[in-house]
Amino acid sequence: MAACSYRSPGAGPGLAAGAALPGQCFCGTVDKDRSGVISDTELQQALSNGEWATMFDRENKAGVNFSEFTGVWKYITDWQNVFRTYDRDNSGMIDKNELKQALSGFGYRLSDQFHDILIRKFDRQGRGQIAFDDFIQGCIVLQRLTDIFRRYDTDQDGWIQVSYEQYLSMVFSIV
Amino acid sequence: MQYGGAPGGPAFPGQTQDPLYGYFAAVAGQDGQIDADELQRCLTQSGIAGGYKPFNLETCRLMVSMLDRDMSGKMGFNEFKELWAVLNGWRQHFISFDTDRSGTVDPQELQKALTTMGFRLSPQAVNSIAKRYSTNGKITFDDYIACCVKLRALTDSFRRRDTAQQGVVNFPYDDFIQCVMSV
Repeated sequence: MAACSYRSPGAGPGLAAGAALPGQCFCGTVDKDRSGVISDTELQQALSNGEWATMFDRENKAGVNFSEFTGVWKYITDWQNVFRTYDRDNSGMIDKNELKQALSGFGYRLSDQFHDILIRKFDRQGRGQIAFDDFIQGCIVLQRLTDIFRRYDTDQDGWIQVSYEQYLSMVFSIV
Repeated sequence: MQYGGAPGGPAFPGQTQDPLYGYFAAVAGQDGQIDADELQRCLTQSGIAGGYKPFNLETCRLMVSMLDRDMSGKMGFNEFKELWAVLNGWRQHFISFDTDRSGTVDPQELQKALTTMGFRLSPQAVNSIAKRYSTNGKITFDDYIACCVKLRALTDSFRRRDTAQQGVVNFPYDDFIQCVMSV
């Protein structure tokens, strides 16, 4: 699993080293035998979010080919395990407290109000909680934003200085 | 429909005569506020999209968050009016570039449109924006609006932090993430 190792010194907000999220590493593991871990409905739900094609399209061709798709399969299984770990009351949805635990389990240290913002942005079902596929998308966007922030934070102090143009380019490349 | 006694009733004289209020009140609930779903219905009924397809729900969510200063996830009538004026302007703009009335513009036209809207962006920045919003190399009206909404919201959030007006902002990690996620 890929580790997101952004670290900010001291007690400032940021992402501790060693945090791990399901990797975007398509090592060729193919689960073609449909072991039943992912049901058809779960897969459909996971893929109903139109962002999947963008996320897995490595060559910017606005679609995924077969080998990229098999990577999707493994990736979803990994995420399903993560989701089950944090959906402590087994409701099938992640509420704000479970989300806080999940993100701090990944190593993020974020303010309390941030979790409200995240839920508002990704809660497609409008229930104040996050479903499986929305949870994945939220985590991925958070990871990519953290990655791009880290790239600009050359002295690793948890601060970046950006021009208007840089700011727009950063954001539009991710959300 | 009871205009006079409605909750969240008229905020200024003449409001009840405002045709926009009719569309708004038809979908707003007891609290006089509308969420993204209701906004979508409202905009569709009002025909703001003109001959173009009505907005998809995701774009409506963006519009709500663009004006959602109190982070309530909803908008009141005054914000709706503000949105309407802005959308009209953007639509006129789109029309002037969609010369063949196809309902789409290409990335070069998007660049011209953004420039004439007053956004000073490098070709690379416009390229990454155009790439994000094109489908088969073209940008639909709905995506164009989504793009404008995001640009405006991001520009506002940047400007609010650029107190020295230098075109440069120092972001701490948490604030950066929140800023982007709030759009």
